[in-house]
Amino acid sequence: MNNAMGVELTAAEASLVECYERLASTLREQGDDLPPFARRNATKALAALWQVANGLDMEPGQLYDVGA
Amino acid sequence: MVDTKYWNPAHETMPRERLEALQLRKLRNLVGWADARVPFHSERLRAAGVTADSLGSLEDIRRIPFMTRDEWMQGQLEAPPYGTMLAAAPEGAIRYHTTSGTTGKTPLRVLDSMKDWEWIAEMWCYGLWGFGVRPADAVFIAFGYATFIGFWGLHYACEKIGALVLPGGAMPTDARVNAIIDSGATVVASTPTYALRMAQEAKTLGIDLANGPVQRLILSGEPAGSIPATKALIEHLWGAKAADTAGMTEVGTIMVFECDRQPGGTHIIEDHYIEEVVDPETDEPVPYGEMGERVVTSFGRGFIPVLRYRTRDFVVKVPHTACDCGRTFDIYEGGLRGRVDDMKLVRGTNVYPRAVEAIVRDHPEIDEFQIRLFTEEGIRDEIEVLIEIPDAAADGSRIVEELGRGLADAHENLRFGVRQVEIGSLPRFELKAKRVLDERIVIGTEGERRQQ
Repeated sequence: MNNAMGVELTAAEASLVECYERLASTLREQGDDLPPFARRNATKALAALWQVANGLDMEPGQLYDVGA
Repeated sequence: MVDTKYWNPAHETMPRERLEALQLRKLRNLVGWADARVPFHSERLRAAGVTADSLGSLEDIRRIPFMTRDEWMQGQLEAPPYGTMLAAAPEGAIRYHTTSGTTGKTPLRVLDSMKDWEWIAEMWCYGLWGFGVRPADAVFIAFGYATFIGFWGLHYACEKIGALVLPGGAMPTDARVNAIIDSGATVVASTPTYALRMAQEAKTLGIDLANGPVQRLILSGEPAGSIPATKALIEHLWGAKAADTAGMTEVGTIMVFECDRQPGGTHIIEDHYIEEVVDPETDEPVPYGEMGERVVTSFGRGFIPVLRYRTRDFVVKVPHTACDCGRTFDIYEGGLRGRVDDMKLVRGTNVYPRAVEAIVRDHPEIDEFQIRLFTEEGIRDEIEVLIEIPDAAADGSRIVEELGRGLADAHENLRFGVRQVEIGSLPRFELKAKRVLDERIVIGTEGERRQQ
């Protein structure tokens, strides 16, 4: 996986970016199906993972639509 | 975890060319976001012919109109309570904070989402990690936890790093000093003024701070953190290294930090900000090494996009090579030098409170001071410096004479009155110190009458 600067991520970095994308997608598509404890903890985790994706020069976008 | 002195090693040591490419990419994203979500920005961007795609180089940032505090405040008045700068619905916010009220009459109000709040802590992590704070540290935060954003971000950054947070809110100074010693705090966060205040209190309590557990001080909130004499005094009294940082409510966190090499200035966190330095009169960029006004563009807080915000802070930017820490982030030599609005014109001479403090702090016998301006005989500006010298054995007359001479020498022979006053008669401060008391009836040479 390459970042927006064209640099290839390490396996560990790529794994975290995949976590971020998966979590964002889960909350966008299935967030309404989750109980409060699951949804809000996942949202908080997403806000933290955004910092990872951003710091690795991905394009993490904004998260206001999912409450983060 | 990788053992490194950098919070984000790839970014902090990135070659300048690549760093600028990163900034351009983020600038385009920010302009696109602000254009799509904030009518205030979209109207101005379109009037200037700026779109995200039209930004071909970093130089193009100069096509973007400046944003001012007055405009922000006007929006707040027109659409209370949060104004016209929001890019997301207020319901999505988890934090509400305000400016300290140091410069304006009404504070600015800001909102942050969960992601923005994490980013705010992230910026403090650059500074804390860069100055050597690690998970094993215990950080005492001498700060009144309220709406002023102050050290809130530092608190959450310490949690993120894994350090032990010792919240020091709602405590009198003697209780804070005792808590620092009793808890074995290895790091203390406070304003420079309050670091001195705690050291005075420790002396009164018979506590030897210099031989205590504190190894590092994180200073913020005032320019004094980069005034060499003030910083040297703080480091001497605490027996610890002190790092300057600077932030602002408008971006939610710090923009600059001093690394553990202590280069006499603060690195700009350039992977998250573009910091321009312009002539405050002509708006033209000033080169490295010359003083000008900071203009900040922030890539972090999406809730309130900040594009080319006029800060009114004076700075001198120098290349990153002025420090040998390996970061490629440029440096504000001497940190923030004060505010454009702080300057006082006294009988035709410019007087900056920071410059006065630098001279006062050359006399460690002085533990508190105040700059007082007043009108003599109905027309003439006068300036005096009131000082407290707690040590009865100190030669007060000599200090008064030397200080008066030093101040005059540094200000085109402007006459400063210097007066030793009773111990405890001058105000003490926990947050930003307000040591300038301007009681003039007529201000400056233009005959402007002070509003009563």
